[in-house]
Amino acid sequence: MSQEQRLTRRDVLKLAGLGGAVAAVLSGCGPTAKYVRRQPYYDMPEYARPGASVYFATTCRECPAGCGLVVRTVEGRAIKIEGNPNHPVNKGATCARGQAALETLYNPDRAKGPTRQGKPITWDEAITALADLLQNTPPESMAFLLGLAPDHLAELVYEITQALGAPPPLRVGALAFMEARNTLAGAAERVFGTKALPTFDIADADLVLSFGANFMETWLSPVYYGKAYGAMRRGRPGRRGILVHFEPRMSMTAANADLWLPIKPGTEGLVAQALGYLVAEAMGREPGEGLFQVDPAQIAQQAEVSLEKLEKVARYIANEAEKVVAIPGGVALGQSNGFAIAQAVLSLNALFQELGKETGVFFTPPVNGEAPLAPATLADIQDLIGRMQAGKVKVLFVHGVNPVYEFPPSWGFAEALKKVGTVVSFASFVDETAAQAHLHLPDHTFLESWGYQRVQVGADRETLSAFQPVVVPVFDTKATADVLLAAVQQVGGALAEAVPYKNEVEFIQKKVAALRERTDGIYAHPHPQVFWNLFLQHGGWWTEQSQKELARGSVLNVQVGEADFDQGDLYLVVFPHPILAEGASANNPWLQETPDPTTTVMWNTWVEVHPETAARLGLQNDDVVEIASPYGAIQAVVYVYPGIRPDTLAVPMGQGHTALGRWARGRGANPLALLGPEANGASDPAFARVRVRVRRLGTRRQLARKENVVGVYGDGRYEPVEAKAESGMKE
Amino acid sequence: MAEMDPQHTKWVMVIDLDRCNGCGACVTACAMENNVAFTGEEENAYGRGMHWLRIVRYWVGEWPNVQVRFMPMLCQQCSNAPCEPVCPVFATMHSEAQELNIQVYNRCIGTRYCANNCPYIARTFNWFDYEWPEPLNFHLNPDVTVRRRGIMEKCTFCIQRIRAAEEEARMEGRPVRDGEVQPACAQACPTEAIVFGNWQDPNSKVRELAESQRGFRFLEELGTEPKVIYLSSQKHEF
Repeated sequence: MSQEQRLTRRDVLKLAGLGGAVAAVLSGCGPTAKYVRRQPYYDMPEYARPGASVYFATTCRECPAGCGLVVRTVEGRAIKIEGNPNHPVNKGATCARGQAALETLYNPDRAKGPTRQGKPITWDEAITALADLLQNTPPESMAFLLGLAPDHLAELVYEITQALGAPPPLRVGALAFMEARNTLAGAAERVFGTKALPTFDIADADLVLSFGANFMETWLSPVYYGKAYGAMRRGRPGRRGILVHFEPRMSMTAANADLWLPIKPGTEGLVAQALGYLVAEAMGREPGEGLFQVDPAQIAQQAEVSLEKLEKVARYIANEAEKVVAIPGGVALGQSNGFAIAQAVLSLNALFQELGKETGVFFTPPVNGEAPLAPATLADIQDLIGRMQAGKVKVLFVHGVNPVYEFPPSWGFAEALKKVGTVVSFASFVDETAAQAHLHLPDHTFLESWGYQRVQVGADRETLSAFQPVVVPVFDTKATADVLLAAVQQVGGALAEAVPYKNEVEFIQKKVAALRERTDGIYAHPHPQVFWNLFLQHGGWWTEQSQKELARGSVLNVQVGEADFDQGDLYLVVFPHPILAEGASANNPWLQETPDPTTTVMWNTWVEVHPETAARLGLQNDDVVEIASPYGAIQAVVYVYPGIRPDTLAVPMGQGHTALGRWARGRGANPLALLGPEANGASDPAFARVRVRVRRLGTRRQLARKENVVGVYGDGRYEPVEAKAESGMKE
Repeated sequence: MAEMDPQHTKWVMVIDLDRCNGCGACVTACAMENNVAFTGEEENAYGRGMHWLRIVRYWVGEWPNVQVRFMPMLCQQCSNAPCEPVCPVFATMHSEAQELNIQVYNRCIGTRYCANNCPYIARTFNWFDYEWPEPLNFHLNPDVTVRRRGIMEKCTFCIQRIRAAEEEARMEGRPVRDGEVQPACAQACPTEAIVFGNWQDPNSKVRELAESQRGFRFLEELGTEPKVIYLSSQKHEF
């Protein structure tokens, strides 16, 4: 019976000439539809067939890198996220966070609709309230805090603030300052003459020197670097690139290095200069002439690293390697002298050029020369917090960032927020900031949104990556751009004339209109509607040919000096969790369930302690400890970690939420509580300068680790659960 | 070597450990494609996570020369699988068409003999009914059965994708092209460490890679004849 049915079905399919069961249809969302509508089953859109998949090209917004995605949908539901194979950044690949983005979309803990003081309101009421705020607030007492994505919204808000005469929006985020984006761009300006985020071309490098840059986990554009790393290792027959990594703890990037040198925190710049000196010496140059004026032996001692190893690396560079790349990043840039370290390491690239080596630093050209709005400096953020504290900010708009969670409490944002008359949050979740907002007008998640992201890192060509809705909105949310534009129209007058867009899509279409003139793109069409469809179908616009130009730099003899540290017993490395990063998606259960690469821990915050240090302090695996800095204290669970300096502790970010949803709330700790307000010599926080004391609390709590299962027949490290999950972290 | 026979395929996977950086994209991609349930912190602490694919992390050496090795571990699709003969109800068995080790959920009665006998610890058991609270269940893949309590499960080499490609090829009257079938893990992998293909196709990329001198099969001395071929990582020593 079933056999007959199946045959009949197959015949029907054949008759209809529909081809395979899964046809890859790249669709541009229907020719004229601006918004996807919820279609009943009997009246499905033309492009949808029962049982067959429809694929939409869009862009990931789980981090600001702007990877291209192709989302598989079946009958109006998003089923699977795949990488866009033609996209210049990720070339078909995705990271774990991108994969789990479906759980951002379909998360049961999302904000279900607009609220005022926690009570549901209609969108008409919301827009009227917003128009009232725009009209009746003195422009200088408004403030906009935006995330690093999406770029189209930042540009629209910029136009609105210009028209109002309000201060321009500040783009902020924990990931942005842990990446020290301003520091890196500032150092690139000094060394290479271009103030932009450099991309390091490691794909055909023979040797990569990474000074703290965790480029395979979360740093700037991890999927691009993953692709490049694979190619570096095994992309060229007979040539295998080598990775040398300097960092106090073994990050995932360090774990992949051929040589990991756990140097003393704060000495990264000195070690870079010593290495430059040794390479120059090995290549027969007289030290001192335009080279770093340093004493390698003394630096090796100061950094607690073997001089012999440095010399071996230097000799390899001098004699074997043709292309060498030096990357500054991560914890190195969070030192109190982070800006000097960034310049010293970038100068190493310039030195290698001088010595006749190839290096690989290039800059992604901005589309049509329009650079995205840069992230705010620490001084800008502190200025805003100061104005909030002084009661000078009447209305604060927050989108794409969760400052109550993402700013270290020592910055005083949470207290200052209480002095703000009206806080308007556009978060898709009821996060820590939205929970304190007077007006919560939830935006769509990115899989329901229009927009674009300007690619800054990883693409070798001008790249504008497009967002389009792949499904109808799941809840009663509204695009923030549309809400703002509706409010602007309601205000009317000069404001509406200065910001003349009817809706978000019209704004984006106007912004991309200039690209119709370009003939060097992957497609070209003069007709606006056809161009728009091509834009959506391809997931954005980029040039046909690579525009990669390797930058040439000049060596700076920068005085790196010694890093300053706070009082305390142990250095502390706070790092973005390799899977959860800064924790904005901590409520995605599969992201929590994906084990951390080096510890295999899931669902909680651990603190990495060297075995000797653990023995000295009487700590064992799964002991709960209190870690205290001059700025605050957290509790975390000990993970005895063989890959960390004995004088250093390390704690991942991403947990410790007090809101956001059932899978994130009340889980682990947020190590940002330990950080202070000082800068790193440029305009980013010196998050590595903090030192801490650690105290055993006497309680135990078993971490969920994937390695338990593996080790169950092996080392017998599995211990029974003594404190159940429900008992929490309290004593 | 064997001619390419569209009626008979032998799917193999090559994992280049020198490319793999342990990032975990494959782990999450696998779960999203195959409706793998998340079980939460406490269940995972008991070793009851449902990961079909996990990254095994090895520590090598002592401080300060300590190193890490990552090794993605999944069902090795053994040609001579230890899990098969112990199943009393033929729930775990060999498919002749694809030469895969398949798990028939409808037959499984949950004896867990197969998991006991698997040297790769590649099988996971549904100790409970795990839920995707609405609307989280919207992303469940309609091509993959959602498993219930008491059922054993494991990596299928994304059999639903293999079947879809096979059907399409058959409609067009051609053999499946090399690279046409990509399991979710290989598709997501940023470093291109995972390559999937048909061993019977002499021009396939897996054949080319498997001839590498770095190639080995994990625990091959057990005689399991795995269809996952690892290429060893060879770090440069300074």
